[in-house]
Amino acid sequence: MKLLRNILIPITLILGLAFSTTSANACKARLGDFDWDSANIHTAISQFIFEKGFGCEVEVSKGSTTPIMAAFFDGQLDVITELWEDNLVELLRPHFEDGSIIHMGVNTPASEQAFWVDRATAEAHGIKSVEDMKKPGIWELFKDPENPSKGRMTSCISGWTCYTINYVKQREYGLDEFYTNFDPGSGGALDAAIAGGFAKGKPVFSYYWTPTSLMGKAEIDMVRLEEPAYSAECWGAMSVVVEDIKANGQEAYVPSCACEYKDMALTKTVRADWAAENPDQAAFIKAYSLPTGDVNSLLAYYVDESGGDMEATAVHFLSNSSAWESWVSADVAAKVKSAL
Amino acid sequence: MIKILKKYINYIYLILFAGLIVISYLSSKRKPDSVTELFTDFGWLNNFPKWLDAPFMVWINDWWRAFSAKYGLIFDAIGYVLLRAYSITKNFLIDVPWPIVVLGVVLLTFYASGKKIGTTIFVGFCTFSIGFLNPRFWDKAIETTTIVFIGILLCLIVGLPVGIAMARNPRVRNAILPILDLMQVIPSFCYLIPGIILFGLGAIPAIIGIFIYACPPLIRLTDLGIRLVDKEVIEAARSFGASKKQMLWGVQLPLALPNIMQGINQCTMMALAMVVIASMIGTRGLGDEVLLGLQQLNVGSSLEAGLAIVLLAIVFDRITQAYGEKIQERTQPTKKKKKQLIPI
Repeated sequence: MKLLRNILIPITLILGLAFSTTSANACKARLGDFDWDSANIHTAISQFIFEKGFGCEVEVSKGSTTPIMAAFFDGQLDVITELWEDNLVELLRPHFEDGSIIHMGVNTPASEQAFWVDRATAEAHGIKSVEDMKKPGIWELFKDPENPSKGRMTSCISGWTCYTINYVKQREYGLDEFYTNFDPGSGGALDAAIAGGFAKGKPVFSYYWTPTSLMGKAEIDMVRLEEPAYSAECWGAMSVVVEDIKANGQEAYVPSCACEYKDMALTKTVRADWAAENPDQAAFIKAYSLPTGDVNSLLAYYVDESGGDMEATAVHFLSNSSAWESWVSADVAAKVKSAL
Repeated sequence: MIKILKKYINYIYLILFAGLIVISYLSSKRKPDSVTELFTDFGWLNNFPKWLDAPFMVWINDWWRAFSAKYGLIFDAIGYVLLRAYSITKNFLIDVPWPIVVLGVVLLTFYASGKKIGTTIFVGFCTFSIGFLNPRFWDKAIETTTIVFIGILLCLIVGLPVGIAMARNPRVRNAILPILDLMQVIPSFCYLIPGIILFGLGAIPAIIGIFIYACPPLIRLTDLGIRLVDKEVIEAARSFGASKKQMLWGVQLPLALPNIMQGINQCTMMALAMVVIASMIGTRGLGDEVLLGLQQLNVGSSLEAGLAIVLLAIVFDRITQAYGEKIQERTQPTKKKKKQLIPI
């Protein structure tokens, strides 16, 4: 026993030393990941390329928007692979301006955020736009069990900017008289509420967004409600009110303007100091871009076929598509391929 | 028959396990092209093989889909009853002017604690301070209290009979104990998220969550309390010809009451912890203030709400503890000693 210990301890020490020396000269990338699945896919793919292609040491931190962005601004994270920039305009502006973070271009060209109603209910009652939601009798379909004098609109998570945006929109459209702006508490709960509605065949009225795996599923069929068309002017006026409410509470609401969410491009960003130290890796992040359809099909693969395994989904993408080869140099691509 | 079964039970388990491995291998999508590969290429000994993946996820998902479609109506009914109880209590307490609620709590404490002035003043002060921290917290605290209250009621209705059954029959205990372990250990989101699908967002899945999370200590302490009743006392009661029913209601339960009260106290504290977690599934109350503060990185506002929860916990704890002490003094008058308990 003693002999064994005498042999084992030096061996582990030597092995530990060997590992620490090999990783010392490699690059380091700290990725910020969010609690929705499209972000997870981009993080998984870039993690794989960073680790296998560039030989980087990768650390992934996952959380909701506010803490992750705060850690990113604070320099605790280097790379954000999916950024819902238009929701965070005011938050990002000072950091772009002082040059501490760099805009890295488009990640996914189109995404939607909107109010949705399940197709069966929408067709049965001729609901096409947010105005239709105010017709007599419609709100009773979505009755809020905890507040039976109103319907329930399952909204965004309170603390996310979209919750306040939805609040302002409800006020502007006059929906607040009929519907509650119900905070589901977390992304998983929002998904479960929609899925639960469909499972039971109950009417669903919810805020939601694409690309998401839930929207990629065959049984989830929802109609996007029409809203006044997007205009930068109107959105700007609304953003001011939204930021004011976020800072000072719902009493700060003043009538302004409201329009639909812009179908926005999702972007990427990295910290300037990290990009300066790792130019090759930064160039890869800059080149990284995927069409919306590909992201949706990857999400569907993730849910239905990979068995909820993000790494397997990333491997599936890397082995079945050649789109990513143009993001990196030939030898990095070769290393990634040999690792698949 | 049972004897034979007992003798071979381990072999039966072994066969079941082997069967499971074969099924896992056959249903895996990542299995090698042919079985012979396993004996020529031993790479699978290095990392845990990907084809050795028990398809529990698929089974549970299939079962869950069928289950929620088939029995959805029953859960709708349960949800409706709980919701009615919740709405009525909540609306009543919110409509009542706040000084009357504070007064009610003070009176409750006064009589529950056996007219202890110190405890009563302390609890009254804590109750007032919840609204004093932030006026918005008052209604939220009432929502939280209502959910906790209904959750505990559910725990009592189920937990007490189960605890009594466990104390009386060791076979029942052996069957129930692993279930209690499971209920206490399983991460709460595992049942909160399916709860949304069955009951919708809001207070009802939180009440169910409370039941799963907070019921085990009540059951355990009821069981323990009844079993700890002195053998001599039981014997004495039996020699006087007490029937089983008389024994339970006249001897065992009254003597076990301090332990049961401790169980209710623990149940309350755990219910309060769960109601905060449940804010992640859209349950209104003080928990969502904490969550909101957290998501906006507003340390002050989340700490303020956290403090309000602590105050609420103190109120619950003091009332149940004081009542427990009163009972203890009544049943064991000779051991009259004051215990200083931690406030939470």
